[in-house]
Amino acid sequence: MRPGTATWPGTSDLTVNPAVGVAALLVVSVATAVIGFYGLRISRTTGDFYVASRTVRPWWNASAIGGEYLSAASFLGVAGLILLSGTDALWFPVGYTAGYLMLLLFVAAPLRRSGAYTIPDFTEARLDSRAVRRVTSLVVVVVGWLYIVPQLHGAALTIRIATGLPPWVGSAAVVIVVCLTVVAGGMRSITFVQAFQYWLKLTALAVPVLFILFTLAGNGTAAVAPAAVNPLGTAPAGAYQNISLLVALLFGTLGLPHVLVRFYTNPDGSSARRTTLIVLGLLSVFYLFPTAYGLAGRMFAPDLARSGQADALVLLLPGQLIGGTAGDLLSALVVAGAFAAFLSTTSGLVVSLAGVISQDVLGGSVRGFRLAAVISAIVPLGFAVTTDSLALAGSVGLVFAFTASTVCPVLLLGIWWRGLTDTGAIAGMVTGAVLCGGAMVCGAFLGPAGTPFWLAQPAAWTVPAAFAVMILVSRATKARIPRTLTRVMTRLHTPERPLVTEQKFTPASPTPPRT
Amino acid sequence: MTRVRVTAPRSAPRPAGETREAAEESEVGQLFVRSLIRSQLRLALVVAVGFMLILGAFPVLLAAVPGLAEARIAGIPFDWLLLGAGIYPVIGLSAWLFIRTATRNEARYRDLAGDK
Repeated sequence: MRPGTATWPGTSDLTVNPAVGVAALLVVSVATAVIGFYGLRISRTTGDFYVASRTVRPWWNASAIGGEYLSAASFLGVAGLILLSGTDALWFPVGYTAGYLMLLLFVAAPLRRSGAYTIPDFTEARLDSRAVRRVTSLVVVVVGWLYIVPQLHGAALTIRIATGLPPWVGSAAVVIVVCLTVVAGGMRSITFVQAFQYWLKLTALAVPVLFILFTLAGNGTAAVAPAAVNPLGTAPAGAYQNISLLVALLFGTLGLPHVLVRFYTNPDGSSARRTTLIVLGLLSVFYLFPTAYGLAGRMFAPDLARSGQADALVLLLPGQLIGGTAGDLLSALVVAGAFAAFLSTTSGLVVSLAGVISQDVLGGSVRGFRLAAVISAIVPLGFAVTTDSLALAGSVGLVFAFTASTVCPVLLLGIWWRGLTDTGAIAGMVTGAVLCGGAMVCGAFLGPAGTPFWLAQPAAWTVPAAFAVMILVSRATKARIPRTLTRVMTRLHTPERPLVTEQKFTPASPTPPRT
Repeated sequence: MTRVRVTAPRSAPRPAGETREAAEESEVGQLFVRSLIRSQLRLALVVAVGFMLILGAFPVLLAAVPGLAEARIAGIPFDWLLLGAGIYPVIGLSAWLFIRTATRNEARYRDLAGDK
């Protein structure tokens, strides 16, 4: 993040009108808080707080999942990357969406049927081991924090462009609003807030894009540059980079803690599948618009890429191409949508992290949940104000690589392979975390120019390595296959009876050992 | 006079977990469960691999047919149209096919396990 507002030429005509920007931010924050407090009246028990009592309808739930998933990377980063690297960047929205397909195929229904609240709950139940639970919790918290930081960077960028205030104000505002909503209402109010924010984000991207297209077509404005022209002359990505990126995005989505916790709000396994199908539709519609933005930016405003403001493309394009009052109003809408993106993803992550931290450290009470929520929002704020942002979509891509190397193998093997043991799971997660985390740290030290391509996109080798270690170590420790295996596998894969009544999954209950 | 609390009838007198317990305990039940898991895994793998092959075919197609990437439909280059919009229907279709077959697998399991 570049400090100050004077880092690129022509600042005054490229920023959004500050009064309009501030108004947009206030409206989104107040609306979020109001819907959050409305939910307060409904949620009463600990169960309500964590998973909205599992009674959220598929359409609501799907909108909420969409709202939560579409982060700063999707709202600002994708269009920015498309502006910079053209068709290569189109793999990002495709990967973000296809990740949900993988989630549907391999995880959605079994995970819902496991009956666990969080990923650590799942691994503990499946492998009957406290140690696995602790390692998973640690990984989940790291993933969540890594993912919140780019959201806060996006908020800092937006507040600087929209209002001219110092960047840290944006990050702090997001953390404050999120803490207030989460502490007040937990998951129930979050569901309403997130569902609202999906539709806000879609409107905020779609209306300006359509307006721009009609205006340009009406004026007969000629494109400044053809789409194929590369504003910065970046080299096209090789096959390795594209494949590695897709591995990270396809398999990283499986392990995102805020995505998984949403599946527990479905009443049963088949409604978890139906919800995912609706989510896929919502995501597909949404991603058409950042793509259109990126294409329009490449053709009509390639100078934004040259001034190092690619991530701000979505915020600046309406003002630059339309101008006047209409431009101001469209800018306000986009700023509101961007803020909705930071708020919804951050609050989803904070809820799931708070669930993990409060159950593991603070005893699982509602009070503990509230305290944990504040902790899980404050720590990444510290990181965000002290670090610089890379391209938003790029840094989120690395978080996906990390998740794909740690949580994804333990989930996939845990659900589908009877041979997984606690030792194998821990060894695999540690291997993935060390390799992928090491690649990320090396990349940060070497800088974007000095990082070799296989370190910049590590997923293609760290994910297979984590899987291999997990399988080999499990094979070597066959004696540790849990005695509860048969019961757990049956529970994961057999359909619920219609109108099933809720049964808490108790891993320790006695079952006959597998014969 | 004694007051009783009137509630909606619980869905069934027998506990919800009964068939599951039965499925776990009998050897035949386990056979059905294992076959269900195998068919669901096979289905998921087939859909995943099929989708990835189609995904991989898109850039190969663009590279193999000269001039295709530059062709324009309504002013939008064809490669942008294909990668930026054309993949999403494939994703949706794969998901729909998967859900249909997975639900059918589960219905077959229900029939076999005697669960109505």
